[in-house]
Amino acid sequence: MASVSMDQVRKQYGAVPVIHDISMNIEDGEFVTLVGPSGCGKSTLLRMLAGLEDISGGEIRIGGRLVNDVAPKERDIAMVFQSYALYPHMTVAENMGFALKLKGQDRATIEKSVREAADILALGPLLDRLPKQLSGGQRQRVAMGRATVRQPQVYLFDEPLSNLDAKLRVTMRAEIKDLHQRLKTTTVYVTHDQIEAMTMADRIVVMRGGKVEQIGKPLELYDRPANTFVANFIGSPAMNLFEGAIVDGRFVTDGGAALPMPEGYQGATAAVYGIRPEHLTIADNGVPATVVVVEPTGSETHVLAKLGPADVNLVLRDRVEFQPGQTVMVAPDPKRIHLFTSQGLRAN
Amino acid sequence: MSDLAIPTLQTEAQRERSAIGSMRLLQTACILVIALVIVSPLFMLLIASLKDDRFQILADMGSFRAFWVSNPTLSNFAEVSNLSGELAFGRYLLNSLFILGCTVGAGLIVNSMAGFVLAWGTLRGRALVLSLVIALYVIPQESIIMPLVIMVSRAGMTDTFAVQIVPWVASPLYIFLFYQFFAQLPKELLEAAEMDGASVFRTYRSIFLPLSLPALATVSILMGIETWNQYLWPILVTQTDYARPITVGIATFFGQDSIYWDRAMAASVLMMIPILALYLAFQRWFVSSFIGSAVKG
Repeated sequence: MASVSMDQVRKQYGAVPVIHDISMNIEDGEFVTLVGPSGCGKSTLLRMLAGLEDISGGEIRIGGRLVNDVAPKERDIAMVFQSYALYPHMTVAENMGFALKLKGQDRATIEKSVREAADILALGPLLDRLPKQLSGGQRQRVAMGRATVRQPQVYLFDEPLSNLDAKLRVTMRAEIKDLHQRLKTTTVYVTHDQIEAMTMADRIVVMRGGKVEQIGKPLELYDRPANTFVANFIGSPAMNLFEGAIVDGRFVTDGGAALPMPEGYQGATAAVYGIRPEHLTIADNGVPATVVVVEPTGSETHVLAKLGPADVNLVLRDRVEFQPGQTVMVAPDPKRIHLFTSQGLRAN
Repeated sequence: MSDLAIPTLQTEAQRERSAIGSMRLLQTACILVIALVIVSPLFMLLIASLKDDRFQILADMGSFRAFWVSNPTLSNFAEVSNLSGELAFGRYLLNSLFILGCTVGAGLIVNSMAGFVLAWGTLRGRALVLSLVIALYVIPQESIIMPLVIMVSRAGMTDTFAVQIVPWVASPLYIFLFYQFFAQLPKELLEAAEMDGASVFRTYRSIFLPLSLPALATVSILMGIETWNQYLWPILVTQTDYARPITVGIATFFGQDSIYWDRAMAASVLMMIPILALYLAFQRWFVSSFIGSAVKG
């Protein structure tokens, strides 16, 4: 196990910068998720950490050792790829033992290590099979096994669950988290799925356009997003954001709806009002909204409504019988209101 | 209405079936004619090789008797394949097999390595080298053959096996075939091997080469046929039976005074066997390689 640190790490292709001076520290044994939309640079950053991409500037340290010019195999890290990248002509056991074979370990040691890793991941009965004879989930586990068998200082996961169906993704999510809890190996995990990031990580790094937007624990990001991008990206359904201005102690949206201000807020710079769908309730003292769509999920009800010209999403714990076109009174929880400046930065 | 409509539909279906049947019959007939055109010379060759009278063979050509043998004999085969006999045919056959084995063996290694480096290497000017390889492919072999003859004779290589192997080991066509095959394999395999600690050569040897069976089969067959059928080059660079291949050897049956059709036919049949065996050995991967490249465009 080892800590990972990045200091002013930069990457550019010709004159085009794709990673802008990123700095962060990942503690020994921590599970950190890099999350962001496609093209935000999260996979590039991971590949720079792996040594598969050169870095244009800055420093990367693994376990305190500067690894800028160190080859991937010398970094003592293991990577799980999105496409699994299993060697198609090798059996599961051969795939898992290949790195040890290259290290020159004897056959008995390799077999023992492979067997141990296979036991952890329940791969024992599959050791003699070829990758093409495995299901998607099994292949994913073999890819993890191949990483585990080397006992690296750091695990790198590059969107490992993207090729799996929704149900299997949930199962594998739990397996990866369980594996981390047992091995306590420092892990950097890339995903574009914010649910994956929220459920698995000790800390999340939200990226956009090659820059870090916010680093924090999952619930910190959820409860106090640093800007409108993070507010919108973290959480599903996304946070409701309304543009407007503060008028006479209330926030008046561009559509004319007057919303209550958070308790104790004294500033006057807020230009965007944010409220999560589950922090809106139906109350007589609310503002009128017109129901558009009602989606009952069983445990809760999702309602899409119109607040003036703007869409507003509600997640209600109660089972409601609203009809499209019906007017309902929507009230935000004053303790859960987020205010942002016109530049999109947090104001409260 | 429906009672009237059903017979009409049935008639149309019958008519459609009949049209499809006629089309299939026509297709089968066409295939048979094509097969006949291709197979008949081979069949004639085989029949002629079983006749022991060279004058009769000549007389039968041009008539249906060319496709029939009343007293088949293997004496022609025994004669041409006798290594200690007066004919050096056995020697030519062994020479050809040796040249074939060395050229194809070395060719697979050299061309696949070059293809791998062009597909995944980190060399500067890789694209330029690839363009050169493609450009070289369009230059006909015959146009460079005279300068090559001068080069090898200056190097004192004439009438050796090396002169028939070395110049033909590396080939733009086969480098490009390997390049194309390797380039379509996922980059993650290369990166996974790199993370596992494999060197570039180990990645090539342990990961990419075992996955390139279809390309290896295709190149083996194409290169094998090309090497086996070399005629102009061996004529120019061999002077004695020492390194002379079978293609040149067969020509010795066609003397100034007489033509030994019986031996020539038997020798031709024998000449086909190794290359046919090579094809049959790699046929499965060869066909799948062509299907694969067809599907992937």
